[in-house]
Amino acid sequence: MKKIQVFILLMLVFTACKNQAGNNQPKKIAIVVSTLNNPWFVFLAQTAAAKAKSLGYETRIFDSQNNTALETDHFENAIASGYKAILFNPTDANGSVVNVNKAKAAGVPVFCMDREVNAANAATSQILSDSYSGSVDAGKYFVQTLHKKGNYVELLGLVSDNNTWNRSRGFHSVVDYYPGLKMLAQQSADFDQNKAMEVMESILQAHPDIDGVFCGNDAMALGAYQALLAAGKAGKVKVFGFDGAADVIQSIKAGKITATGMQFPQIMAQTAAIYADEYLKGKRDFPKKIPVSVELVTPQNINDYIAFGKKN
Amino acid sequence: MNKKLKYGLWLVIVLFVGYNSVYFKKLDSMKASSAGNFNAAAYAKTYVYNKLPAIAGKAVSVDQLLSGLAANPQKTFDTYSNALDIGSVRFFWVKGSGTVTKIDDTYIYLLTDSAHTLVKIATEFVFGNALRDASGLVHINDFGSTTDLNNISAEINKLIRNEVIPPLKAKAKKGDHLTFTGAIELNSSHPDVSNLEIMPASLKIIP
Repeated sequence: MKKIQVFILLMLVFTACKNQAGNNQPKKIAIVVSTLNNPWFVFLAQTAAAKAKSLGYETRIFDSQNNTALETDHFENAIASGYKAILFNPTDANGSVVNVNKAKAAGVPVFCMDREVNAANAATSQILSDSYSGSVDAGKYFVQTLHKKGNYVELLGLVSDNNTWNRSRGFHSVVDYYPGLKMLAQQSADFDQNKAMEVMESILQAHPDIDGVFCGNDAMALGAYQALLAAGKAGKVKVFGFDGAADVIQSIKAGKITATGMQFPQIMAQTAAIYADEYLKGKRDFPKKIPVSVELVTPQNINDYIAFGKKN
Repeated sequence: MNKKLKYGLWLVIVLFVGYNSVYFKKLDSMKASSAGNFNAAAYAKTYVYNKLPAIAGKAVSVDQLLSGLAANPQKTFDTYSNALDIGSVRFFWVKGSGTVTKIDDTYIYLLTDSAHTLVKIATEFVFGNALRDASGLVHINDFGSTTDLNNISAEINKLIRNEVIPPLKAKAKKGDHLTFTGAIELNSSHPDVSNLEIMPASLKIIP
């Protein structure tokens, strides 16, 4: 009987020690990002991690490599490893819903950054660039720059991503009012610079006479510019991007790229980290979607901006 | 024979799985698939012809806005601007009156009555969220989808371009006296008041 009492006492002491050690460990937040093969997403992920760390959390960045199966693995790992929240940049608006729902079922809140998932109540909140409105501004400037007439090409991003279509629709909501502007080709280059270069090279063979290219992101704008440069058309064709990446900001200054839609990954990443912190401290009332404004960067206002944001 | 049957069966299975694993969709159908049931055109009509006129009195005068921005930009943004997005782009619901000094393809130029400031009223490039956001009447949580919000802007702008501007532009001439309500977009980080554009919501020639 005495032995049992001693055993129980020892067990209680060990349990108390273990709990105390557990309480001293910082809570963990996972950052799951669609790809780290693009500087824009690297900046988004690192900013989210830095903000979460500054709020007292341990963080880890998971790279989904634009692959929903890998993204599923990351979610399962994060849930099993005791991560308390996930700051998420989805790979696929529809394909990523199942992962968000899995986390939700496990009691892990998910905060989407920049890209959305097509489910109203899956994520706790979605903080998204207002891609449509940014592209409306780009479309307006495109019409003005091309003086309402000419031939153009559109390079789309990943067809499974809502941003691809929001940008395309915003652009066309302006440009399609001008019958003098004729779209000769519309093709996807998956937001990828090399693919955009290949697609543009092939388009130029079929349609050598073009005046403008609207690209769904900056990487594709750079790829399109490389193809135009190789074809000897770089100075004659207006190239538009979307993101506000460092190379494109430099290219606008150098007169190579005409304009880009500046997104603010810092605002999205920091807001997501702050929301996760507030959730873990008990807050439950979050807006389902928060759009973040996109600003048009042109040669006229380039000095107000730096890569991924604006000068203070 | 057995071998042939076996390979044949495998071929059928591979073809069946392959056929059901890959499918092609036209880009057009991807675009169409995001369309919702919300009637943005009807919403825009009520908004432009009923809701905005009802708050015309709450608009800040353009002259008051400009003097406020010169004196205390932060306070002026805090007091008068609205936006659905977070960030620096903000919108002002404005009113004013003045004398037409020039009309071209894209603008009507006015010299305001009280401060004699030159302002431009957009007549061609009426796009964007200014007219939707400036009033403060549209709230993000009232709509389930961002597409609905985007369509509201598009339909409001279409109405203004097709129904509000053409009849006014057909008869307006230099020297006419105009009153207007509308929206102005400004970036709070670097407000450029030298190139202000007013997106008109209502325009009227005063005899």
